[in-house]
Amino acid sequence: MNNQDNLSRRRFLQLTATGLGSIYLLSQCSQPFSKWRFFTNAEARLMDAIADQIIPPDEWPGGRESGVTNFIDKQLAGPYVRYQEEYRKGLLAIQNSCETRFRKKFEELKWDEQTAFLELMEAGKMKEASWKDEFDKTFFALIRDHSMQGYYGSPRHGGNKNNVSYRMLQLDYPLIIGQNRYKS
Amino acid sequence: MINKSISRKLYLLVPAILVLVLIGFSIFYTYWNSASPSKTCASCHEIESSVNILFKSAHRELACKECHGTALSNGFHSLKEKGMMVVNHAKQDFADEIKLNEDQMLEVMDNCVRCHKSEQARWLSGGHSAKYKDIFLNKKHNTTEQLNFDCLRCHGMFSEVTIKELVEPLDIKGLWKFKDSKVADKPVIPCLACHQVHQEGFAHKNPDYASPQSAFYERKSNVSKASFYNRQDQTHVLAEDLPKLKLWEGERPVKVSDDPLMRNCIQCHAPAAHHQAGTSDDRTPRGVHEGISCLACHDPHSNDARRSCIKCHPAISNCKLDVTRMNTSYADAKSANNIHWVACSNCHKVKKPGME
Repeated sequence: MNNQDNLSRRRFLQLTATGLGSIYLLSQCSQPFSKWRFFTNAEARLMDAIADQIIPPDEWPGGRESGVTNFIDKQLAGPYVRYQEEYRKGLLAIQNSCETRFRKKFEELKWDEQTAFLELMEAGKMKEASWKDEFDKTFFALIRDHSMQGYYGSPRHGGNKNNVSYRMLQLDYPLIIGQNRYKS
Repeated sequence: MINKSISRKLYLLVPAILVLVLIGFSIFYTYWNSASPSKTCASCHEIESSVNILFKSAHRELACKECHGTALSNGFHSLKEKGMMVVNHAKQDFADEIKLNEDQMLEVMDNCVRCHKSEQARWLSGGHSAKYKDIFLNKKHNTTEQLNFDCLRCHGMFSEVTIKELVEPLDIKGLWKFKDSKVADKPVIPCLACHQVHQEGFAHKNPDYASPQSAFYERKSNVSKASFYNRQDQTHVLAEDLPKLKLWEGERPVKVSDDPLMRNCIQCHAPAAHHQAGTSDDRTPRGVHEGISCLACHDPHSNDARRSCIKCHPAISNCKLDVTRMNTSYADAKSANNIHWVACSNCHKVKKPGME
């Protein structure tokens, strides 16, 4: 509890005025809010389904529960900003292909149908025009790589929730390593 | 005349507006501090997830202000702090993760002890209540330990500066001094080093007195009382999610207790990297005590282990001796038989079956 912050009168007035003014803006809080930084809610639902396909849940949480979507979303708004366009285009192409083939969204497909769909992507065998120039193959590889990074990387980057992969691999994390201790 | 009339009106109007603003603000402030968090703090998107976890925690009955204070609880300091939250919100300058800085964390700790006085008293009586000055201005430490970045992992995990910015010189030649002396009296292992308030849990409740014998069966296992604050990631890790120590005595794997709370202790009282028993600050029970938890003997807050023997041992042991008076470090600090790993064979030179 320190009161030693140097707050000038001018700065205080500025803060008070902005703060009080901002109360009026609180009305905007009633508007729908997305917890995602880059993804739309619909894209995040699709990403969750894909993440679970890439890292299926078993006795350990899968890609969705371990926060892979959050990891990718966080990186796309940061260091991976260069992949934003590919994700927007790729996720739309997946939903369009699913609508064309099954009249359903990807996340509404049965588990085996989802797997088969992604296997086609991985093999570069998607026929739709939106997948030309082997975009199916490269986009699948991109999501797979990012999912792995999210699952196995440090939780500080947004994935690997509750150190799930570290615990699964029985890694000592946080590291158990002693201090230099002198003998008294 | 006109000017006089206008200025007279202004004299009345300005104070009236100010009074109205003040009344409006007071009403808003009173409402904000008395309404349910779901209608106030939780309506703020940035902290929505934290509030949602609080609703599932043992502290679910508490209002946010009980721990975090109000905009007026600490003068300009808190007014500035809370004001900045509103400003950042209005500017849509959302923090990815909201973290408390060390001073804010210590303010919260002041509020923890309003209710947890007994725990605080025990903490104060134990080794974990050390302050920065106790660790870093200790003459023996200064001439024996080589400082490195990892010291703060267990001694000052909430420090916002690195060891290089905290202390000088970084060697064992001269006495260390703080670069900023304000840290000297701050605790290095505060409540939140081992506890996380925003985590799932449940409050204890009275048993059903119509059927008191059912009390045991109605209790849920609640091991999530401890979390370790991992400085590296600036996040808490639940005790049960911490790794279990794998320890070796030579080639032999040592049996280590499954008690999740012990995993918190091990994070700092740890063996050296190769995990050989007895190295660095390892005190994992071995010998006659192998497999038991630190918490079987030590109080988690005071670390006191006095009167712990009687919890398990008969007054007179199988050796026909009072265990508290045996030649161990429990009775005598100078004893060669460390209570953490004393074995039967330390005293009984003729081995009998089962004494290995």
